[in-house]
Amino acid sequence: MAIRKAHDVKIWARLTRGAGLSTVCGGDQNLHVRFWIITMTLVLFGLSTLKLR
Amino acid sequence: MLLELFEWLGKDMRLFNVFSYITLRTVMSAMTALVISFVIGPWMIRKLTSLKIGQSVRDDGPQSHLIKAGTPTMGGALILTAVVVTTLLWADLSNRYVWTCLVTTIGFGVIGWIDDYRKVVHKNSKGLSAKSKFFWQTVIAATALSYLAFRANLPQQTDLIVPFFKTVAIPLGAVGFIILGWFVVVGFSNAVNLTDGLDGLAIMPTVMVASALAIFAYVAGHKVFSTYLGVPYIAGAGELAVFCGAIAGAGLAFLWFNAYPAEVFMGDVGALALGAALGLVAVVCRQEIVLIIMGGVFVVETLSVMIQVASFKLTGKRVFRMAPLHHHYELKGWKENQVVVRFWIITMMLVLFGLSTLKLR
Repeated sequence: MAIRKAHDVKIWARLTRGAGLSTVCGGDQNLHVRFWIITMTLVLFGLSTLKLR
Repeated sequence: MLLELFEWLGKDMRLFNVFSYITLRTVMSAMTALVISFVIGPWMIRKLTSLKIGQSVRDDGPQSHLIKAGTPTMGGALILTAVVVTTLLWADLSNRYVWTCLVTTIGFGVIGWIDDYRKVVHKNSKGLSAKSKFFWQTVIAATALSYLAFRANLPQQTDLIVPFFKTVAIPLGAVGFIILGWFVVVGFSNAVNLTDGLDGLAIMPTVMVASALAIFAYVAGHKVFSTYLGVPYIAGAGELAVFCGAIAGAGLAFLWFNAYPAEVFMGDVGALALGAALGLVAVVCRQEIVLIIMGGVFVVETLSVMIQVASFKLTGKRVFRMAPLHHHYELKGWKENQVVVRFWIITMMLVLFGLSTLKLR
């Protein structure tokens, strides 16, 4: 079971490497800040709809 | 650059006229700077790593910072590249304020670059001497401010505006304007540099203050809004919102790589340039006092260093456990992340307070 879990984690890390998400399993500490940045970008995009209509 | 293209296309297709609005170009500029930084960021970090342009850590600083040694620095070049390219793409290039801010920002970036380069590549721990750094900062700031002062054709372009008072404006004249402007531009440039001591500590407040300054610039450049809000009308200042948008976008993308644990540091090349940019935009919009409020974290960090040095020289005692202030809190037991996020929260509140001065006057 433990071996399988480790294998899944490894595969997930490999799949998401480069997307900045590889550390979801590894516990990367800057992940929360990166999610804030994504939210801020989406907010900015949302604001642009005020004008783009 | 794109503005001219869209104006030309707008003659045939009205759809393109939407890009003549500063508000939309500000959002587009932030998005463009964000994308540019995301695209070239990883490449630049790899390049800096391969060139062994790693940060040296002060040996008298907190012990927890020793692991940061070797992290690539001079990442501010990434921010500057994104800001310059984006501003050239989205701003009105016939606007003199845009060019003044752009050239000044690049000038301060060059000073920072030389300093970083000597420190990191030539392994000269002192870098550029404090005196020559200060001298060149003064030369660039004074040139830009003199240009603004002598091109000003209305008193409100050089008066000191006091927030919360609709009718209070202190006439400074050209010389007073240059002196005050010098304090703001050079002071802020060094203040951001001093604050840049923890991962993400300097860049997020810079993004927040730049975003707020974009609003101030837009209002100052809009005849109806400026009259309604009692803010001095500065024709052409609205275009600086595009420049501020670029700083906010590039800064946000830089934070992606600079968040704890940082993959790259901005170095002097970024800190000096960004501080000068914020200072100069505030000077153009006549919002120096509001900038001091909104950039309170930068101001307090600088004051902590001044107080520490003065106290140690005069009494032999230290007021803070370590200066700048962020190290004091670290030594008090706060985690690096806690210090950073709490300083962000304080900046957010100060920025909101600064924005409230638009209406509360």
